[in-house]
Amino acid sequence: MRMIRRRTFLLAALLNRFAWSLRAQDVTLPNKSGSVRFAAIGDMGTGEPAQYQVAQRMLQFHQQFPFTFVLALGDNIYGGKSPAELQKKFEIPYKPLLDAGVQFYAALGNHDDSNERFYKFFNMNGQQYYSYKKGNVHFFALDSNYLDPKQLMWLEKELAAAGATDWKICYFHHPLYSSGAFHGSSTELRVVLEPLFMKYGVQVVLAGHEHVYERVKPQKGIYYFTEGASGELRVNNLKKTDLTAAGFDKDRSFLTVEISGDDLYFQAVSRTGMTVDSGTIRRAGAVQAVAP
Amino acid sequence: MSLRTAVLLVALVGIPLTAADPPRIPSSIPDSPGFREFSQRLEEYLNLQKSVPRLRTTKKREEIVARRQALAQKIRETRSDAKQGDIFTPAASEEFRRIIRSVFQGPRGASVRKTIRQGEPSVDRHLTVNSDYPEHLPVTTVPPTLLLRLPQLPPEVAYRIIGHDFVLQDLEARVVVDFIPGALP
Repeated sequence: MRMIRRRTFLLAALLNRFAWSLRAQDVTLPNKSGSVRFAAIGDMGTGEPAQYQVAQRMLQFHQQFPFTFVLALGDNIYGGKSPAELQKKFEIPYKPLLDAGVQFYAALGNHDDSNERFYKFFNMNGQQYYSYKKGNVHFFALDSNYLDPKQLMWLEKELAAAGATDWKICYFHHPLYSSGAFHGSSTELRVVLEPLFMKYGVQVVLAGHEHVYERVKPQKGIYYFTEGASGELRVNNLKKTDLTAAGFDKDRSFLTVEISGDDLYFQAVSRTGMTVDSGTIRRAGAVQAVAP
Repeated sequence: MSLRTAVLLVALVGIPLTAADPPRIPSSIPDSPGFREFSQRLEEYLNLQKSVPRLRTTKKREEIVARRQALAQKIRETRSDAKQGDIFTPAASEEFRRIIRSVFQGPRGASVRKTIRQGEPSVDRHLTVNSDYPEHLPVTTVPPTLLLRLPQLPPEVAYRIIGHDFVLQDLEARVVVDFIPGALP
């Protein structure tokens, strides 16, 4: 354990010296007053240098675009779950963000231990699935490993209670639509979730699992993002199909989002700071994507 | 609502689903001797487990690990003579196998198989009752279309798929409570 801590400390110190620059003009999000601002990361909990580098880039982005919370889309802690491993794979890489008051709201992936729901930093309050509200946005974090009737009933009740005027964003680990070559679309999950999303007006769905970034063309009026490359990566694994609106599989990445009124602005950023996708979604209209 | 009532409220009949319809949550279950037995044995397990303090939310990583280990140890001590088939009794196993088989052979069979494969499924492991669920083993998604047809479980336990085996896992203790060997085709 002491060895892991020492190595992790050295790694963090090294990365802090690795000065990347990020200019204000690199941020395409409007930074509007009173907006809801968050980031989304998935499949990140490796404890490897790439995860630390993405975390460092997120910190720089945070200085230009002060997001207040992060959605963790699953596979938050790969491999061992000992105290030292949790520190190495979560607390150390994201310490500067945690220190800045940024909160993480996790969904469980297939590599996670369900006891991570008791880990205070993940804000799951001991629940496998849960919901919360930020501004005019309702968030629903699901456990896509185990969509039993109880969870589906809970989701339907929560979606119905959220009303029709606010944004509704669902997130979980397995993507319902994906052009990733390794896993692809989770069609059995789609068959139970998509009807609920449509019935209750969910606008945006975020997932991980595929170790790439992808934005899917709206499916039945719903916008789907996959961000599963915030630690892990499968280079050239995105086999772009008719589903794909934009994608990136050359390096790690994270997604940032700003919601103001009826507009949702998004910007996906690579580990090196390159904008790999950006655009705006209007609640009642079409996406206006901007090529990177 | 007791566990038995909850279990009895879940249907075991086929549920046709299309992408256009919201899932129909089952509202009744055939009164099967196998599932009655399963429900009873599971309730006994949960009663036994109630004497053990549960986990709670904490920032202390050590506390989560220590409490999980204590819980697992207590479970092993209190059911030290537990063996495969105690909860998935032969009659219950037969019911589970019948439903799993019908889902795999049904109209969504190919999609169900694909879902299981997508979870980076493991090869068969040698499982024993009361052993730890393997720490590095990813969780295989249990297809929701299958879960809709099985007895619903309380939050302390979950169904899992390991290779071809169908497993009942204690979620907090991460202990294999029981399993049906070779239940998945």
